[in-house]
Amino acid sequence: MAAVQGGMVDEKEEVDIKTEPQSDGLMNTNATDGRQLSPSPSSSSSAGSTKSAAGAPEDQQTLLAVLQFLRKNKLTESVEILRREAGLPEDALDTKGADCSAPSSGGTAGGVDGLDAGSLLSRVAVSSSAGTPAPTKAAVADDQPDVSVVLSAYSQQGDPALYKVYYSDLKKFIESVLDCHRAELSQVFYPLFVHMYLELVYNNHESEAKAFFEKFSGDQECYYEDDLRVLSSLTKKEHMRGNETLLDFRTSKFVLRISRDSYQLLKRHLQERQNNQIWNIIQEHLYIDIFDGMPRSKSQIDAMSGSLAGEAKREANKAKVYYGLLKEPEIEVPLDDEDEEAENEEGKPKKKKPKKDSMGSKSKKQDPNAPLQNRIPLPELKDSDKLDKIMYMKESTKRIRLGRENLPSICFYTFLNAYQGLTAVDFTDDSSLIAGGFADSTVRVWSVTPKKLRKVKSAADLNLIDKESDDVLERIMDEKTASESKILYGHSGPVYGISFSPDRNYLLSCSEDGTVRLWSLLTFTCLVGYKGHNYPVWDTQFSPYGYYFVSGGHDRVARLWATDHYQPLRIFAGHLADVTCTRFHPNSNYVVTGSSDRTIRLWDVLTGNCVRIFTGHKGPIHTLAFSPNGKFLASGATDGRVLLWDIGHGLMVSELKGHTDTVYALRFSRDGEILASGSMDNTVRLWDAAKAFDDLETDDFTAATGHIHLQDNSQELLLGTYMSKSTPVVHLHFTRRNLLLAAGSYAA
Amino acid sequence: MSSPKTLPKDAQVMIQILKDMGITEYEPRVINQMLEFTYRYVTTIIEDAKIYATHAKKSTVDADDIKLAIQCRMDQSFTSPPPRDFLLEVARQKNQTPLPLIKPYCGPRLPPDRYCLTAPNYRLKSIQKKVSSAGRISVPRLSVGAVSSRPSTPTIGTPSAAKAGTPVSLTGQRFTVQIPPSSQTNVSKTTTPFTPTVSNVLINPSLIGSKNILITTNMVSQSAAADSLKRKHEDDDDYDAL
Repeated sequence: MAAVQGGMVDEKEEVDIKTEPQSDGLMNTNATDGRQLSPSPSSSSSAGSTKSAAGAPEDQQTLLAVLQFLRKNKLTESVEILRREAGLPEDALDTKGADCSAPSSGGTAGGVDGLDAGSLLSRVAVSSSAGTPAPTKAAVADDQPDVSVVLSAYSQQGDPALYKVYYSDLKKFIESVLDCHRAELSQVFYPLFVHMYLELVYNNHESEAKAFFEKFSGDQECYYEDDLRVLSSLTKKEHMRGNETLLDFRTSKFVLRISRDSYQLLKRHLQERQNNQIWNIIQEHLYIDIFDGMPRSKSQIDAMSGSLAGEAKREANKAKVYYGLLKEPEIEVPLDDEDEEAENEEGKPKKKKPKKDSMGSKSKKQDPNAPLQNRIPLPELKDSDKLDKIMYMKESTKRIRLGRENLPSICFYTFLNAYQGLTAVDFTDDSSLIAGGFADSTVRVWSVTPKKLRKVKSAADLNLIDKESDDVLERIMDEKTASESKILYGHSGPVYGISFSPDRNYLLSCSEDGTVRLWSLLTFTCLVGYKGHNYPVWDTQFSPYGYYFVSGGHDRVARLWATDHYQPLRIFAGHLADVTCTRFHPNSNYVVTGSSDRTIRLWDVLTGNCVRIFTGHKGPIHTLAFSPNGKFLASGATDGRVLLWDIGHGLMVSELKGHTDTVYALRFSRDGEILASGSMDNTVRLWDAAKAFDDLETDDFTAATGHIHLQDNSQELLLGTYMSKSTPVVHLHFTRRNLLLAAGSYAA
Repeated sequence: MSSPKTLPKDAQVMIQILKDMGITEYEPRVINQMLEFTYRYVTTIIEDAKIYATHAKKSTVDADDIKLAIQCRMDQSFTSPPPRDFLLEVARQKNQTPLPLIKPYCGPRLPPDRYCLTAPNYRLKSIQKKVSSAGRISVPRLSVGAVSSRPSTPTIGTPSAAKAGTPVSLTGQRFTVQIPPSSQTNVSKTTTPFTPTVSNVLINPSLIGSKNILITTNMVSQSAAADSLKRKHEDDDDYDAL
């Protein structure tokens, strides 16, 4: 039996050529016990080939197929020679059923039309079988005559006309199951439906595919509606060719998380019936992550499902993530700065000791959850940065403490006459500048304060100034061309993402033309164009410490760049569809990306590995926000929900329902007390983040199952809804004193 | 949506297609744009197919030609992003290299000049006037490799006795121009657009790479503004020859 197991494992591996490498091993751990109990014919028939499938499974398979082909054409001498040379054991060919093992329940290559099923059926009936239905064997024996068929990556599990029957059987079974298990087992419907449909299409059974689709598409969950619509337009194999997302979906395994009890039920049912086509498909295309615990309710499952690849395996969320913040450097506040402070007017003695950063720097000891200072190289602080930090600290002392009783005031910046061309907005951290990216490929920068925008003088004029004067930094600025706003030309497509650098010297913009441009805010000219994505770049952001920036685009990857390298430093590949949103963690060691495949992935900058996968949204994710303490992540998508995640444990902790349209902007207040969300439904909503993160029962025990019980407390957490006249909210920003700024373009 | 009766059939079909794909909100001009695109696409495909058919010496265009035409066009115009396994492989390789250390005290951190957009993308033609009132402007050069040595230039016209500057000399890859004594070369971190008064640009190539320093020296033009300043002019022909 061990040999059988091993053999089937091999066959599995050789066939799933395109599946992700790691899923192979994992699949086996789940399916091995299943295979042990699988009906004897398959196992006995595979016994023959297992021995031969020891070495290079793929090659052996091909050799066997060739051998069989030669045999069929009665080229006995060639058969002998080939067998001798290839070193194939005799008994590999003895039973005709031996080759049937190739596409056994493991699911293998071979997708020939059922046309020659008739001839094969007769042959198959001769071979050992114990009541396996003809369709199984027909499919199983299908691949013999055709060598090329062996190499194709998709199998045909049974007669296409019977797919409907298999599916309805399963449906009937699941509907008859106990309530507590039904919700979990219903998760199987959607991936099974899609995979069966795609198989029919791929193997050119167009009419059967259409019939199958019509019959069962209505049963699927409502949040899969968009996907189903895309599927409905896909009726031929050629249609699938250019669609990378669909190809990835086919070759990657859809992950389901089912409790052990429900899983046992399903397995038992599918195996006790002779017809285990569904079981084959499940084993091939689905990855079932079994957890021990209570079966989940429908609402819990609904909360976490919806992504293109199912949910996240628990292993995917097990890596340690350093979500703590980096220590703030100690900065001495010089005396003369203190003179300017209003607080010192009472004549308090001037403090000579350095001001500690009151923003949550803890004890001198290293926070165990924080990364080391030198984990990734970060630029050192320049003098101007130190001055900025001092300003920051001063401002933060004047910060308003927000809370349930003390909501922030909201100031809305409306872009008029943009004719819906406003595609991106950003504020500087000290809220002195706004930049807008537009569909006409311009970037415009405005000054929010009365201070106008000035650029540095030309070289000729610079020569004339007195370099030794104290206010040389003001003198180098050109007064003649000072203006409220400046326009930056350079892109050749709509500008989809904008980001100011923390030191306010640079501005990044990314556009549909595939480039990310770095602009200098001192000269208001373009400095560098970073080419790497050859497809529209949807979002970009500077790191909180400057120097690094991340961009994500249509090519399904996010790239990490440094301003002085013309090529990316890291490539974060793994999403199944476009990367629509990219953000840095406050400690700059992690990058989070949201994608059109409805998953959120957290990547480690140091290694480029994906350390967390969060699923649960039902639409492409458009905005992400980290809480200021780095522990939590908020995400908003086109489904109108805002989801809160605990990064350390990798769990969804809360679901905020309320918006009726895409959530385009999310921002935590400076202390993390309030979460503001802005949406296409022209509202800004404030949520009580402190309460949402309070008394979370996340410890290792509850986290082991991969989910915690979500409370349905959206209404309690909602602190206020503020409607604008007719302006979708595109960007939100809390000033250093906790005033909320919002931006959007007026849509008449 | 206007009443379907007045719309041409193609537009009605397009409306139906949009409805089937689940698009309910769109501006009315979208239909026109979609129809234009469809017409252009179909025409291109059929023309291509005709070419393939004649190439294969067939009298009529058949389905295979169309299929081939669609395939070729797809690879040409409607490229899709690279497949996942390729991306994973590329990412794996790229992510293996450690993050580069950051050099301290570097000024603006920009890639090497070749990859930046900071170079002037124009060249000024010299004015070959011997008239003293003509403003002499010389061409700034940022391409380091192309420099050749020049003879020192004679001064023309105006006396330069009072000048403390040395004649122009070139070392391997460096232009050094000594100008009116008062102004030293000043370092500015900005990339300034060329203005007519800046006559000479000095780039120190050894600093390029991590620093992007333009050392500009001012050559005052002989226009009315320049009174007592002595002027030195460059022989611009040599620039053009480079």
